[in-house]
Amino acid sequence: MSDVYLAGVGMIPFRVHKERILVDMAGEAAALALQDSGIDPGRVDMGFFASATTAVLYKDVTVGQNVYWQLGINRIPIFNVENACTSGSTGIYLACNAIAAGQAEVAMVVGGEKMCVPEMGLLNSGATELDTQLGLVTPASFAMRAARHMAEFGTTLEQMAAVAVKNRRHAALNPMAQFSKPISAEDVLASPPIADPLTRLQCCPIADGAAAVVLCSSRVAKETAGALRVRAWAYCTGDYQNPQDMARWGTDYRTCAKAYELAGLKPGDLDLVECHDAFTIAEILHYEALGLCEPGQGGRLAAEGQTALGGPIPVNPSGGLLSRGHPPGATGLAQVWELAVQLRHQAGPRQVPGASVGLAHCMGGDKDGDSKSCTVIILTN
Amino acid sequence: MQADRDQQCQPVVPGIFRASSGGQGLELVGGHCPACHRYYFPRPPRCPYCLGQVEEQGLGATGTLYTYTVVRVRPPYGLPSPYALGYVDLDGNGLRVLGLLAPESLDKLEIGMRLRLAVGQLGCDVGGAPCLRPYFEPAPPHPSQGMQPDV
Ligand SMILES: [Zn+2]
Repeated sequence: MSDVYLAGVGMIPFRVHKERILVDMAGEAAALALQDSGIDPGRVDMGFFASATTAVLYKDVTVGQNVYWQLGINRIPIFNVENACTSGSTGIYLACNAIAAGQAEVAMVVGGEKMCVPEMGLLNSGATELDTQLGLVTPASFAMRAARHMAEFGTTLEQMAAVAVKNRRHAALNPMAQFSKPISAEDVLASPPIADPLTRLQCCPIADGAAAVVLCSSRVAKETAGALRVRAWAYCTGDYQNPQDMARWGTDYRTCAKAYELAGLKPGDLDLVECHDAFTIAEILHYEALGLCEPGQGGRLAAEGQTALGGPIPVNPSGGLLSRGHPPGATGLAQVWELAVQLRHQAGPRQVPGASVGLAHCMGGDKDGDSKSCTVIILTN
Repeated sequence: MQADRDQQCQPVVPGIFRASSGGQGLELVGGHCPACHRYYFPRPPRCPYCLGQVEEQGLGATGTLYTYTVVRVRPPYGLPSPYALGYVDLDGNGLRVLGLLAPESLDKLEIGMRLRLAVGQLGCDVGGAPCLRPYFEPAPPHPSQGMQPDV
């Protein structure tokens, strides 16, 4: 098994890109990633393209081949990946497997969405699911987790708001963030209600955008300046057990534990985390699953500033999904983009000093009160 | 009463609840695997644990609210705005199921409260036609005073 390295990252800012089409955005992100890696496109021998909404919104399939051919990449195996909010990170998981298995020396993952269109309603668990037909929309799933967490652990609205305030404060230091205006806890709680107790500023917005990464074998990494080691790539689907404990997310805990085991690392070894803060309560649940605190203590961790830049374990120094916006095909790649910038010590005012171990965590889909997918990727410099 | 109108409406998904004529004995309908002794809602085509056949199983009509939310964004399927959803711990079978909560109960919701099943015209189906959905409404606090599920 070869070790796997991250050779390059590329990303275009996530925004409402009204005038752009997906293939162009994805092609630009891919070109940036190749340029960053210094690797010739002709050496890419496997490609993944991640998008969650393209087939649904545009009836457009096998988009990946179009994206890669923009870069003159043809003939090689290309895979189109859909895995809800973890589409991008699932692409990374597959690319790492291919390199580890010796099936590719250089593998790329490109992901993107063009979803800021009127046809895009709220994300749900799939149109044919009974849950969806009973009215379940994604914010409601997390609102119900929040209500349960509050009831069991005494988590407060102010603690949840602290996550949004912190991530926005980080975003002010990140030119790639979409929303960077500082907000107060009062702003967060007074923003329009979405699904009680979650308000609009506690829910990540959708976005158009694209991001890409170039991964390679240890052999190629030797010739590539600044390559980062991928220490673990873990992916678990849900267990769908009934009843689900909605205040202690088993699938989240299981995936994080697996990643630590694969990397031979523990929570205390991390210098920074980019996690799936699609909702404020989600970040709190992820703290607990990641072992950054005891179960139930996530709200306190946020409110005490322990996960802010300057604290013992900065989480979402980029500003997270809450500030970046969430195009699912690109989100997992954007998280790794931030890890790369941090581990190369090029993050400017939001740099985590001396960062050497970073973790990216992503979660997606909803089934039977559980998640359909959870991914964790650990990088070291 | 909206009983007349209800009769013309179809359930949002067939076979997820049943009632004898006159609305007596209303209950959720799911599945039970006789080999694994597991209950399911909705009834899956086969038991994911043993791949055996899952029998149709009444799941009763009462339970306790595990968690809930009131959704205040534009509702899907023509549901009322706002509308409430919860996970309900059903009596007698250990299942925790997602359900709509009665539109008139939004300001009475509380984790741990007792609930009982109701069915009514609530929103539309995927084709836009008004349809029947099961939902839970507040029930008396003591199970002995409520409807007892026959499980
Ligand atoms: Zn069975």
